[in-house]
Amino acid sequence: MRWLTLYLRSRRVPVALAATAGTVVLMWSLWTAFSETRDVGVPMVILTVLLCVAALTATLAGPDDALERTGSLPWPRRRAAHLLGALAVVVLLLLATLATGARFGPAGLVVRDAAGLLGLTALGATTVGAARSWFLPLAWTLVTLVLSLPETAWAQVLTWQIQAPGNVVAGLTAGLLATAGSLAYAVAGPARQAPAEATL
Amino acid sequence: MSRILGIELRRSAALGAVLTLLVAGAGLLYAAPERWSAGWMPLVMTQREYLVLLWPLALAAGAWQSRREHRSNVAELFVSTARPRAQRMVPTLGAMSIGVVSAYLAVLAVAAPWIFDTAGYLPAAAFAVAAVGGLALVAAVWFGLAVGRLVPSLVTAPALAVAGIGLLMVTPVADGSREWVSLVFSPMYGMGQYTDFQTVYGRVSVAQAIWLTALAATGAVLLASGSWRIRVAALLPAVLGATLAIMVVPRDDKFVVHPIDPVAQEQVCAEGSPRVCVSRIHSGLLSEVTPLAREALAILAKLPDPPTTAHEDTTTYYPDTAPPRQADVVLIPVGVDKSGHLAHKATVLSEMLRMVGANTHGCDAGGDTPVSRAATSWLTGREPVTDDPEEPAELNAEAVTLWRGLQGLPAKEAAARVAAVRRAALDCAELTGLLSRSAR
Amino acid sequence: MMRTVSAAETAPTTHPWAVHAEGLRVRAGRHLAVDGLDLALGTGVHGLLGPNGAGKTTLMRALATVVKPADGRLTLLGQPVDGRADLRRVRRALGYLPQQFGFYPRFTVREFVEYLAWLKEMPKTAIPGAVQRAIDRVGLTAKADARMKTLSGGMLRRAGIAQAIVNDPAVLLLDEPTVGLDPEQRLDFRTLLRELGADSCVLVSTHLVEDVVVACTDVVLISEGRLVHQGTPDTLIAQGGQSDAGDSPAERGYSALLRRHRAEAGR
Repeated sequence: MRWLTLYLRSRRVPVALAATAGTVVLMWSLWTAFSETRDVGVPMVILTVLLCVAALTATLAGPDDALERTGSLPWPRRRAAHLLGALAVVVLLLLATLATGARFGPAGLVVRDAAGLLGLTALGATTVGAARSWFLPLAWTLVTLVLSLPETAWAQVLTWQIQAPGNVVAGLTAGLLATAGSLAYAVAGPARQAPAEATL
Repeated sequence: MSRILGIELRRSAALGAVLTLLVAGAGLLYAAPERWSAGWMPLVMTQREYLVLLWPLALAAGAWQSRREHRSNVAELFVSTARPRAQRMVPTLGAMSIGVVSAYLAVLAVAAPWIFDTAGYLPAAAFAVAAVGGLALVAAVWFGLAVGRLVPSLVTAPALAVAGIGLLMVTPVADGSREWVSLVFSPMYGMGQYTDFQTVYGRVSVAQAIWLTALAATGAVLLASGSWRIRVAALLPAVLGATLAIMVVPRDDKFVVHPIDPVAQEQVCAEGSPRVCVSRIHSGLLSEVTPLAREALAILAKLPDPPTTAHEDTTTYYPDTAPPRQADVVLIPVGVDKSGHLAHKATVLSEMLRMVGANTHGCDAGGDTPVSRAATSWLTGREPVTDDPEEPAELNAEAVTLWRGLQGLPAKEAAARVAAVRRAALDCAELTGLLSRSAR
Repeated sequence: MMRTVSAAETAPTTHPWAVHAEGLRVRAGRHLAVDGLDLALGTGVHGLLGPNGAGKTTLMRALATVVKPADGRLTLLGQPVDGRADLRRVRRALGYLPQQFGFYPRFTVREFVEYLAWLKEMPKTAIPGAVQRAIDRVGLTAKADARMKTLSGGMLRRAGIAQAIVNDPAVLLLDEPTVGLDPEQRLDFRTLLRELGADSCVLVSTHLVEDVVVACTDVVLISEGRLVHQGTPDTLIAQGGQSDAGDSPAERGYSALLRRHRAEAGR
């Protein structure tokens, strides 16, 4: 238990959790204040999922990963658990709104999008570092919201976030991103960061 | 300063921002070229519409660049230097703004070859629209820099981008049917391409430029500020700019929702006779339209007192404009396909000859389809056919009967009857029975 | 490499001391790190010694005008810097290498030193020559166009020294400049220090007593925010005897001074 608290503090998880919860509360309040319908619009749900994942991105890398790697702990399973925990946080927060006056759903969409975006972020953390790993999820999500493409299979892969929860192609895309990202992150860990200062 | 600017251009996030904006902008444009292939004005206006993606990306780029100081721990060293913070920020502001403006212009440069040979009309308003688009990106980057400095967290850039796209998507809905509010505060609003003659009023561009300059100034002041007093004072340019912009933009009764450019609608004619004219914005298509139009006029020449000129049909709805109804003018429906050339080439001729080449805009539905169809068929010499699968079969059968009747008549009598149909169509009168009785 | 010297630089100075502190009090957070320090530094290389937590870094930061003194008087080059004075003139003649040297990783060494030269408001035409000269003096000529994130610890430190000396400052403040330098580079650095100390006031904060004894004209020992001893290295050595802790005369002098100071403070 002691290790877990120290680990969470080293990754600044409490701040990230507060930011995620704050994001959900903010979006929920905005919808409740300005809209009459109970079901939140799909673009807003997707953007909320994106923001929650982005808030948890910073926890994917610690201050000194090279040092942590020298420990004898088996890291892959802990990193995988970290990702699962992040997914659980996002999904639980948003599914909790289903009982309230502004419903961020459908549940299948939230789970699929959170898993896919988190996998993409983890993949980014492994390749370009945790600080830059939000680039691709953000750009992809924004492009998805802006483009309106004909309903071909390729278009469904490209805009997988806004497809209906039962859509097979979108589900496969999200699943592929989630598994590839989690595997890469669990095995390789976050990318090595150059020191930004010459300290003593 | 110029050397430092060069260093910042090379080493800051400007290059990455240029690449991202260029790929995003060019990709979006080329994903649907039919939206802008009609000419320069549609191109710059569609590019402005795609600010819905580029503007949030610029915000995120600014916030990301601002994190560099926080990440690198240079504050201790730089405080001990002589140059005041405001001057120190100038190369960063300059490099990022050069980057985004270059990206915006580069997107235009990448799209221009697509329409270069067919676009014929370049109004001053196009430059204004593109300039305001560039200014919008500069304002976004500077504001992003300011927010990134005030909140140097890793989540600032994505949150700012999401807030930006949220703002752009929500403003048209939230303005409470006061559309001029969206026109001022949303750089992508008012760019809908309902016809090829859309334009943006100069006053609107000026109002948007005022607001965006104020936003950029607020960002710059926040970025250069050292104390909280200056930060609060940074609200002043924003408030001033918003007020001024609201005063300048045409409001309420002066507001036109999708203005049409009358100069773009003016007819431009080809050489030779009979005269064939198209609107100025389609003047690049004159060489494609002229042969088809002359063919239609030649077919109509069988009539006594035939029409002598062909003009483009520049009718628009919302606002309603229509070309004057003249007896000797045949209207040409001109559309632009996604490669910039004449659209639906195969049907231009038959569309011109509908209702015997008469302009029936503004008429209530008084036309009799079998009569007009039979009359047109007599001119072309082909049996009447229908392209509408929902139409009841009796209509075309009646048209065929009338047509056969016309063919049985002597040429002069048939021509006279068909001319009568044309006159009646021009007068918005009933067409029933005109082919059955003798023309007087 | 020579450079032209302007008339303003050869004009005689009107201030007696480059750095003059009287009763200086500076806070580090809530703790009063510098507590009633009286210091007068002229031209030459002054070594700043003291135990950890003695307030060395806080003193350097106050002299670099990064933090404002809480109390007392501080004058740099004849200008008071403790009130709400305009610090630009003083900062143009200042060079500072912080203990935590932050830099822009993507910049090359030359670009970073040039950027700092611009920040110190050097005249535009003088900057390229001054940058090259500074890089040559610290021995980074081969790495001048390498990005800073590719440099090792010692080279980064030398790049920090380069940016500190690029404007030929009248007051040069170096906080732990020899970290990561190999012994040969330390010898080169001592030569550089002697050169710099010929016509400017250099304050070097370091734990390496040997460096201080060899390269410095003056030793300043502070402890718990107060001045314990200021004098030539010989006076430091003279303070120590065989019974004091240390492997060299200077270290014995150092520990003797500290022991006496703590004994007096305890009384």
